[in-house]
Amino acid sequence: MKKLFVTVFATAIFGAPCATAADNSPTASAEGIATSTCQSCHGALGNSVSSTFPRLNGQQADYIAAQLNNFRSHSRSDPHARAYMWGMASQLDDKTIAALAQYYASQAPTIPQKGGALAAQGAALFANGAPAQNMPPCQSCHGEHAEGNGVFPRLAGQHADYLKKQLEAFRSSLRESDVMHVESKDMTDSQIEALVSYLAND
Amino acid sequence: MSDHWTRGFAFRAAILAFALFALTIPKSANAVPSYARQTGLACEACHTVFPALTAFGRTFKASGYTLFNTLKVQDIDKLAHSTLSLSDLPPVSAMVMASQSLEAKANDENSSKASTDFPQQASLFYAGRISDNIGAFIQITYDDQSGSFGIDNTDIRFADVTKIDGHSVIYGVSLNNNPTVQDLWNTVPAWGQPFIASPALQSPVAGAQIQGALSGGVAGLSAYTFVDQAFYAEAGVYRSALQGASVAFDGDQNNNVISGVAPYWRLAYEWDFGNHSLEVGTFGMYAELQNPTTPAGGAINGSLQHAPTDRFLDASFDTQYQYTDDETQISLTAAWIHEHQDLSASFAEDLSTNPSDNLDSYNVVASYFWHRKLGATFGFFGVNGSNDPIYFGTINGSPNSTWGLFEIDYLPWLNVKLGLQYTAYIKFDGATSNYDGLGRNASDNDLLFGYLWVAF
Repeated sequence: MKKLFVTVFATAIFGAPCATAADNSPTASAEGIATSTCQSCHGALGNSVSSTFPRLNGQQADYIAAQLNNFRSHSRSDPHARAYMWGMASQLDDKTIAALAQYYASQAPTIPQKGGALAAQGAALFANGAPAQNMPPCQSCHGEHAEGNGVFPRLAGQHADYLKKQLEAFRSSLRESDVMHVESKDMTDSQIEALVSYLAND
Repeated sequence: MSDHWTRGFAFRAAILAFALFALTIPKSANAVPSYARQTGLACEACHTVFPALTAFGRTFKASGYTLFNTLKVQDIDKLAHSTLSLSDLPPVSAMVMASQSLEAKANDENSSKASTDFPQQASLFYAGRISDNIGAFIQITYDDQSGSFGIDNTDIRFADVTKIDGHSVIYGVSLNNNPTVQDLWNTVPAWGQPFIASPALQSPVAGAQIQGALSGGVAGLSAYTFVDQAFYAEAGVYRSALQGASVAFDGDQNNNVISGVAPYWRLAYEWDFGNHSLEVGTFGMYAELQNPTTPAGGAINGSLQHAPTDRFLDASFDTQYQYTDDETQISLTAAWIHEHQDLSASFAEDLSTNPSDNLDSYNVVASYFWHRKLGATFGFFGVNGSNDPIYFGTINGSPNSTWGLFEIDYLPWLNVKLGLQYTAYIKFDGATSNYDGLGRNASDNDLLFGYLWVAF
């Protein structure tokens, strides 16, 4: 800690070491953007502390890239997309988006806090769906352990409130997704609570 | 002419002089839409409800207002180093406040209880990124009490971010004109509650130097660091930079001139967990003032070459708690400022009863907003200090005042606030009743204040 403080004050007075030529790669640039900008909301290494902002650590790279593209093109327009991400993604180029997606996908994911009767209900719903409501199993797209698959996002270890708000937004079509609207349109509040209890870590 | 009348007149003249002085102090708090235009982020990213900052807003400010998500006009040299990086549009914003005030009892038989202020204040801002690592918050304000434009809060800063031992380290330098205007939390005098007050509100005679007495008349340079968006440390110095006067060429007519430099410090730690944010910290400064003025209206006018000084040490403790999600925005703030006043110069000139005094100023404020649309705020404020009839100029020598504040707000849009604020004095300048010797009670200064505040 002492070393950190000495280094911090030395940096404050004399400035940071100059960037080297090697730092110009998209990967280094993505890490720089992640550290200097994304981290303010999404946390160090993508492990955000506030449920307003989703965890990105261990998220599927294709999903992150698809969402950043959607923010940039304004084809995703739920309230937080408009308030935060339309601006943040507006100047990102394709290479930087790919590098940012790879950066966060390579971070260790947060493990869900499973347990309790509600989580068990959620696990059953996740694995089997609800045929009576024409609700297919979530795991068929999101993976057996909710780890995600390509453009289907990791759900395991996400913030509970974030997951709940996304399901509600899909249900009301506030967040546009034909697949997820069909999946969630008949979902009850208690089913959402059960799923979130199974998947989230807060 | 009775002695009683003379004393009352002198007292009121001193209060008027202090009030006029106080009115020249920039005390606005602001939210600036040019930052939103620059970043592409809505107000809610940086503000719980303007002008209070979120954790992200604090990081944006510490980072030098430089986050940028729009097109730039750029140039590079042969080695591809950036030589120009301008905004494609200048980061200019405007703000207008209009208000209506109603005092419990008129100041005297010739005054009105009601007053209308339009505009109470109108400001132009240059607020945004200047280059990759430099940004500014520069405010020029028309104030209807002075009827003129003037330099208001100004904060120009250089900032950068680096990584040290796995820690995110923001570091920078701020050049500003008001102690605490560079700060990140809403507990400090420059950014604390109430965010807006009526020009007609009677203010207690006593206050610590760091509570705005030096604002606008100083130049401060400080270095700071913000580690992991948690640990904040800042150290700097202030020198007098009087508006409308030059210390160098007009020394013997300038008052409250800082002798040399006034050191300033700030330490804070913030814990962010879930949607909660908790900060504890300390800030303060030490100022030696040449040709000091007293709250009672006394002033020393002498040469600044070898002038004796009054010395003020302000040490403060502050804490802030925030809960923020889409539906609920809760804020609790508290600050306690202790000031030791070494009144060597004033005492030698018979402008104080004691060679030294102490003053404590404190406030506790709770605020709740629903969907950033409807809100209520309760606040309790107080000043306690040594008994010094000559220095403070109050009838019984006490500077003690306590008052409460209640406010309800409605924001039809995130950049438009309609507020109704009530200030209730329990004690004013040392007494609850007859504080001026002419029969005026503390509660006679109670004031209802309705306002419109728009930023665009």
